[in-house]
Amino acid sequence: MSFDPQPYNVLLALGHWLAVFGSCLGIAFFVAFMTGVASGRAGAVIGAVTSSFSDFFSTSCRRIGAVALLTFQESKRRKALYVFFVFAALFMFAGWFLSNPSNRPELQAKSYIVFVLTAISWLILPVMLLLSCWGVPEDIRLRSLHTVVTKPIRRHEIVLGRMVGYISVGTIVLLLMGVIGYVWIFRQIPDEAKPSLVARVPVYGTLTFINREGKQGSGVNVGDIWDFRSYVEGATKARAVWTFDDVSEQRVGDQMVLETKFEAFRTHKGNMEKGLLARFIFVNPVKNISLPGKPFEVKEYQDATLVIDRKMTEVDEQTGELKSFDLFNDLVYTDPEDGGNKLRVEVQCLDAGQYLGMARPDLFIRLADRPFAVSFSKSVLGIWLMMCMIVMLGVSVSCFVKGPVATLAVFTFLIIGQGMREFMGRVVTGQEHGSGLVESIYRLVYHLNPTVEIDDSAATKVMFGIDQIFKKLLWLVQHIIPDFGVFRMSPYVANGFDVSWEAAMVPCLLITLGYALPCLLIGYYTLRFRELEAK
Amino acid sequence: MSQENVIEIKNLSKIYRDFWGRPKVQALKSLSLDVHKGEVFGLLGPNGSGKTTTMKLLLGLLFPSSGEISVLGKPAVDVDKNEKIGYLPEESYLYRFLNADETLDFYGRLFNMSKAQRVERSNQLIESVGLQHARRRQLKEYSKGMTRRIGLAQALINNPDLVLLDEPTSGLDPLGTKDMKDLILKLKDEGKTVVMCSHLLADVEDVCDRIAILYQGELKTLGRVDQLLESHEETNIRTSQLSPEAIKDVEAALAKHNASVKRVDHPRTTLEELFLKTVEESQARPGQRYVPPEQGAEAKTTEQPVASK
Repeated sequence: MSFDPQPYNVLLALGHWLAVFGSCLGIAFFVAFMTGVASGRAGAVIGAVTSSFSDFFSTSCRRIGAVALLTFQESKRRKALYVFFVFAALFMFAGWFLSNPSNRPELQAKSYIVFVLTAISWLILPVMLLLSCWGVPEDIRLRSLHTVVTKPIRRHEIVLGRMVGYISVGTIVLLLMGVIGYVWIFRQIPDEAKPSLVARVPVYGTLTFINREGKQGSGVNVGDIWDFRSYVEGATKARAVWTFDDVSEQRVGDQMVLETKFEAFRTHKGNMEKGLLARFIFVNPVKNISLPGKPFEVKEYQDATLVIDRKMTEVDEQTGELKSFDLFNDLVYTDPEDGGNKLRVEVQCLDAGQYLGMARPDLFIRLADRPFAVSFSKSVLGIWLMMCMIVMLGVSVSCFVKGPVATLAVFTFLIIGQGMREFMGRVVTGQEHGSGLVESIYRLVYHLNPTVEIDDSAATKVMFGIDQIFKKLLWLVQHIIPDFGVFRMSPYVANGFDVSWEAAMVPCLLITLGYALPCLLIGYYTLRFRELEAK
Repeated sequence: MSQENVIEIKNLSKIYRDFWGRPKVQALKSLSLDVHKGEVFGLLGPNGSGKTTTMKLLLGLLFPSSGEISVLGKPAVDVDKNEKIGYLPEESYLYRFLNADETLDFYGRLFNMSKAQRVERSNQLIESVGLQHARRRQLKEYSKGMTRRIGLAQALINNPDLVLLDEPTSGLDPLGTKDMKDLILKLKDEGKTVVMCSHLLADVEDVCDRIAILYQGELKTLGRVDQLLESHEETNIRTSQLSPEAIKDVEAALAKHNASVKRVDHPRTTLEELFLKTVEESQARPGQRYVPPEQGAEAKTTEQPVASK
């Protein structure tokens, strides 16, 4: 399982937004100004930019509403809402193929949830993409926009009205699909899988490792190419150390629930009837307390839930006295550096010669569950935000190119934004060997594979220097293309988790808001400086 | 007396360019003219003479290659000027999935009109263009004439000071043409300025105070219609019916002044007038049908039974 929600760094994201938006704005103004200078109309360019402020101040909600209503009527009469019937037809027969009683209950629940959320996304997003990419170009082609722009409507009001209209249409369809999908899951899912429809609220910690010598280090790689998990060796000093922040009585309650999903790696068969043995050790480094818990079995491919009582006891090995500990008073400690209430939990494998694999999300404190409806709704909200992104991109791109080109452009954005941004990131940061533009051409010509070192010379320095410039441009392109992967919230719901605000909802909202202004500006300036009637 | 100008055009040129910026067509060449407040101004010219280009430059749909345009005292690209402008395009480029009520409501909203204002104005305009019977039908079901009418209604939704009409009578039957011309004159009576472009000379002659004739993008003639059409080389005298003797006497009298009669005939009406008269008579007396003289007795027409299907 590679499901690992990471907290979103809002400040870093804001910094990136300012850098990318500022760079693009600067480049656009520079190009416009230089074009103006070349045609002897530099003053007109500056005048146009300043007059756009008065346009924005004269924004009328009624005019935006008029265009939005028009867009809604247009979509309705273009039979866009028929997509809903396709959705309904899918659901009538999907149950035949999804039911698999031999699967574990949580996997059965997962297949139904993933199907519903995927069906909703795959139906609503292409329809909204097509609608938003074709609306304005068709208006221009049929010249109905000419009659509109000869009224006192500002260009950004047209762009905004179009966006609001399409989003309204999509919202209605999405709401219907969401409600039907939710009811369908509950009606179709087998009874034994129904308890899996929960929204667990996890508190993840940070993970570090102590090696077999008992020193700070890293986990062992057991030979997997995929290094999601690191392993600790059994019956040694090796441990995985989780530190949880903000652990308090109000938040956790009288009983702390720890949930684990460790992976076992056996170097010998051992007792195949039993899982590997492991134990928690609660450590308070400030008070020098180290309280080992009872050993528990790690069953492969299964989640384990351990309930830790607030009051814990331990027999002192030297005195034989029974010592009692309070989870919050004795084990939770205040970090001297940041003043937060922290809990340190170490995990040790007890079977000699065996290994336990662990990654950050493999151990978490489980807070009180939320209803499944909450996580499902948040996931639908994620699809809605992605739809908003597609509509905004579609409308703004379609202001300067025709429908088919706009569709292709937004589709490309969608594909790259779903899965290629990571690769671009590796190229930009130099993690991808031999990925420089000129360098890769050089390697092709001289038949050098990416791992072969290139001689250090003046020519290669120039080559790497040029590549650095291209990498800066690629960085800009990488950040211009939206990260659509963030909007996928179905893994949360399908794995029985509540959709995290910090790791999922906030990034989605911020990304959508971050693209709203640039999309609006692109649409506005394009429609404003474009001759609608040019032959 | 100096007249207030609603439109001022100075040295206006427009060159259409291709993707690479190379000149393709020069649609207008140094056009300069003014349109006075309260007049009906006609832009005339054959196809491709630059009439519609001028209109679109006035509306800010195109940008001039050089020269200046001022409309209602503001640059043509200023959106604020549109508050007082009504525009009827050559083809009624409206949303075909809307009905008449929805269309006028939509354009009314663009002028920030309140709901009550929109309803009142829509009712008034739909009645004045004669579309009460079809107000709930989608525009895609409209005939061309009906589309022109709703197009005109949307152009007047804001009670504009300046009305720009591109080929206003195009696609209209003679009745519709007459209604349109009456409406243009009514707008003039209300003190509004009307600029129309057309290649139907009779329509322009009937309603325009001043005209400009364009040819291949250049202004060829500009002036008042009555002055431009007046010929000082001949004199017309219209009398009651004359006998051949009386005509001979007139010829003799003219000969004394070294003048001659060039043509003696009966005055002719225009085809449009004949058509309108026929329709009006048909409306007054339904069932009347034309009978060829050889079939009828003396009269050209006879009363027919109303039971025609």
